[in-house]
Amino acid sequence: MVARRSLIAGGLALAGVLSVAHGAWIPAKAALAQVLLDRAWRETQRTRAPTKPWPWADVWPVTKLTAPVQKKSMVVLAGANGEALAFGPGHLRTSAPAGVSDNSVLAGHRDTHFEFLKNLKLGDSLTLEAIDGGVHEYKVTDLRVVHETDTRALLPTETATLTLITCYPFDAIVPGGPLRYVVRAQGITGHNPFLDKKT
Amino acid sequence: MPSIYRYRSIGVDFLLLLMILAIRPAFGATAAPLGDPVNAVEAKAGTLLVRAQDDRVLRPVPMLGTEVDIQVTGVVARTVVTQYFHNPTDLWLEGVYVFPLPENAAVDTLEVRIGDRIIVGEIKERAEAKKIYEKAKAQGKKAALLEQERPNIFTTSVAGIPPEGMIGVRIEYQRELLFRDGVFSLRFPMVVAPRYVPGDKAIGISGHGFSPDTNQVPDGSRITPVVAPSHQKPINPVKLTATINAGMAISVQSPSHVIGINESQAGIVEIAFADGAVPADRDFVLNWRPVMQKAPQIALFTEHFEGEDYRLLMVMPPQADVVAESRLDREVIFVLDRSGSMAGTSFEQARAALTMALKRLSPRDSFNLIAFSSVSRQLFVRPMPATSANIEKAIEGVSALTAEGGTEMLAALKLALDDQARGEKVRQVVFITDGSVGNEDALFEFIKQHIGASRLFTIGIGSAPNGHFMKRAAILGKGTFTHIGKHYQVNQEMAELFKRLESPVLTDIRFDWTGESPESYPAPIPDLYAGEPLVVLFKAKDLDKEIVINASVGSKKWNQRVSLKDSLTQAGIARLYARRKIDAIELSFNELVPTLHWQGARRKIKEEVTKTGLQYQLVTKHTSLVAVEKESSVPFEEKLKTWSVPINLPEGWQHGSAWEQPAQELIVEDATVMMAPLAKVKYERVSAFAELYDLRYDLRKEAKVVRGEREVQLIAENQAIHKRKAEKARPYAKKNPLPQTDSPTPSAMQIAMAQILPRTATPAQLFMIIGALLLLTALLLRRRLFSRW
Repeated sequence: MVARRSLIAGGLALAGVLSVAHGAWIPAKAALAQVLLDRAWRETQRTRAPTKPWPWADVWPVTKLTAPVQKKSMVVLAGANGEALAFGPGHLRTSAPAGVSDNSVLAGHRDTHFEFLKNLKLGDSLTLEAIDGGVHEYKVTDLRVVHETDTRALLPTETATLTLITCYPFDAIVPGGPLRYVVRAQGITGHNPFLDKKT
Repeated sequence: MPSIYRYRSIGVDFLLLLMILAIRPAFGATAAPLGDPVNAVEAKAGTLLVRAQDDRVLRPVPMLGTEVDIQVTGVVARTVVTQYFHNPTDLWLEGVYVFPLPENAAVDTLEVRIGDRIIVGEIKERAEAKKIYEKAKAQGKKAALLEQERPNIFTTSVAGIPPEGMIGVRIEYQRELLFRDGVFSLRFPMVVAPRYVPGDKAIGISGHGFSPDTNQVPDGSRITPVVAPSHQKPINPVKLTATINAGMAISVQSPSHVIGINESQAGIVEIAFADGAVPADRDFVLNWRPVMQKAPQIALFTEHFEGEDYRLLMVMPPQADVVAESRLDREVIFVLDRSGSMAGTSFEQARAALTMALKRLSPRDSFNLIAFSSVSRQLFVRPMPATSANIEKAIEGVSALTAEGGTEMLAALKLALDDQARGEKVRQVVFITDGSVGNEDALFEFIKQHIGASRLFTIGIGSAPNGHFMKRAAILGKGTFTHIGKHYQVNQEMAELFKRLESPVLTDIRFDWTGESPESYPAPIPDLYAGEPLVVLFKAKDLDKEIVINASVGSKKWNQRVSLKDSLTQAGIARLYARRKIDAIELSFNELVPTLHWQGARRKIKEEVTKTGLQYQLVTKHTSLVAVEKESSVPFEEKLKTWSVPINLPEGWQHGSAWEQPAQELIVEDATVMMAPLAKVKYERVSAFAELYDLRYDLRKEAKVVRGEREVQLIAENQAIHKRKAEKARPYAKKNPLPQTDSPTPSAMQIAMAQILPRTATPAQLFMIIGALLLLTALLLRRRLFSRW
């Protein structure tokens, strides 16, 4: 009787440890991958060709997103499928590449890479690094919560626009809710941080 | 353990939220004569929605009736639809009218009758048309604007509907008729099969817990159709007349309605509903075939339009001899993408599609299966006969596959295309993927070089596959692209694709022109499958000789001479040509990107489409019809009262916010299109006609939508509560201005896109909590154990 009970307790403890380990592995993987991705991104900029961060990867970097105020920087991957999002924010294939006068849309997990979105404020700066090494700056102009079916955030725009999408609410425990947090940032035309930095 | 406490309080909140979501609050008070506010996601044909003063929702006005007249000459059907509405209020109103049309419809005429005035639309560049409409509205003029949202969804806005007034909206469009297996077929949509379906729930844990409820049919009160005046017996009675001028004796029948037929003279048949007006509860279908067994093999129609001759050539391959010979055995190579990006729902769908396809093979066919990620593997060393044992083996193999690794598509294509069949087999490569590749150019080049006698059919899986890539790959591979967005579409879409693939008739079709080749569509000409005619539209000025059509039938050559002299005059050919041309322009995006870059290519396409739209007077994505009355007829004070522009922003829209600029347009869309949808599906009725027509598939689709509708409603109704909770529970909300919450009702456009924003959350926290709870339980168990000792 006692033996059975302690067996149950042991089993529960083991399952608990495994579950916690699995839960901890997700953010750890997200952070570790970024190190390898950073290397792949530099290689991508050098060769101007898609470079895989590790041989068996199904993802490759397309741009680098930086939030100077929040001191966050991350390599963005092509496509917003589940695999890409586990390693970094994903760039929606149907949206514009970085720096173009159109809408560039990135999506990221609300509890890993895009957790910092909740700290973004209107007027905050964001930058995207293009494959040619150009840096494009954007200012946050809008923050809102939308339903997942409200796809207006994906529509093309006439001016350089950066749209960041993540799940909402940020601290919901169960994933898969229908709300999304959408950050809109407008490109600052003709601005190159390397050329006209304030002295 | 403060963190555990926090989790528990969130857990309680969550449970509360679930309970709240389960109880649906009733609608607010309804303005007496109007219908319930429309908040659904599904569009019913021709519902006019209005927004009265201070009303935050759009409401349908009663529809009095619909008149349809269809004129068929040869292969072109011109349809005139007039719908009448009544404004039952004592207010001046602005209304929006959403209607769906067949995808290849060319809309060219808009007339709106408000009270005693008729205003006629003119084609203008889209932004300009919108400006004209807005200006007229602000000046108190009656005005109307017809815009294309998606290839098959159009909206009409009407300003200045007088109190107690009547409105008639008349739209004219034309389209090519469907001709297959010797039968002409025409369908007039009266009930709209909804296109919007919410995304599949993530596997495992579903959202906020209301999906189980929403799978069920909503209660009756929610699905009552638009309120009609009590003296009105059938809801939206439809009167329909059609005249078919086929140029030969035909036999006509309608599988959907009881019709009266009158043949006034040989070859001209008039049709009307036998019962006069019928309720708009099912689509009208009309089929006819030539009385003589043998249909003419060649038909040529010409229209002279603005100095040019436009022609439509229809050639029926001689079925008897061709089909017998073309019953060639097929070799089907299935290629399945099992890379990491396919993991999850996508791979489930891909496997289902593949299994379905394998089961459709006939024993005369042979097949092979290639699965690729970082490496490509094939099931058999060479294609094997499709015996049941081999198919069984393949299905088993497919079910054992998992999705992980890279997308080395080139290797898979090499394997599929290099090993070309030597015999007389028709070789079809069916490629199932999400198109998640980085080396598109290299792949295009390879397909172009190596397609040979094979045909490439791409099947896009998932809610957002790389459609650009797959469409283009299919064109280069002389096949077709099929998109399967949702699991329930697998059977229908695959069945349709395979029905065609099973009987290829003519391949490598080429036109040899005497002299210079004219601009013609489609280009290149796709293969022809059994029962289909070859239809080509071209523009030619002095083309008075003949053309030779060359093609292959299996391993043999086939050719046909066509004289261009004997042609019938047919209005509408030029616009059908323009419609095809616009499709071609839009597809050229991928080719333009390398030279013009992204935005250059987009601008170029916009320019070309606008030019074509203006030239042929067609409504396109970039050209709209706008109609304005000459003088203002809306009383000034009324105008001020009813139209305090801008129309109420939906709750949460911020004036002067960043979205304002692109949003200026969007806001109008909100006010108009966004809540556009429309009477709810009458469920019992749908099932009745499902029995009649065996539209079980459609029914499932409806069920899905009803679920989506309810889901969206639930969210709409509970968003306020949600927002309050968010405000309380989240410390960062204080640091940050509270995020704005949009009205959750999607626009018709989004409905058409059938797309959702990406899902972006991991179950990391959930696993941590479950783990912590398990450990806690284990600990408690141990403690009780200790205390006993």
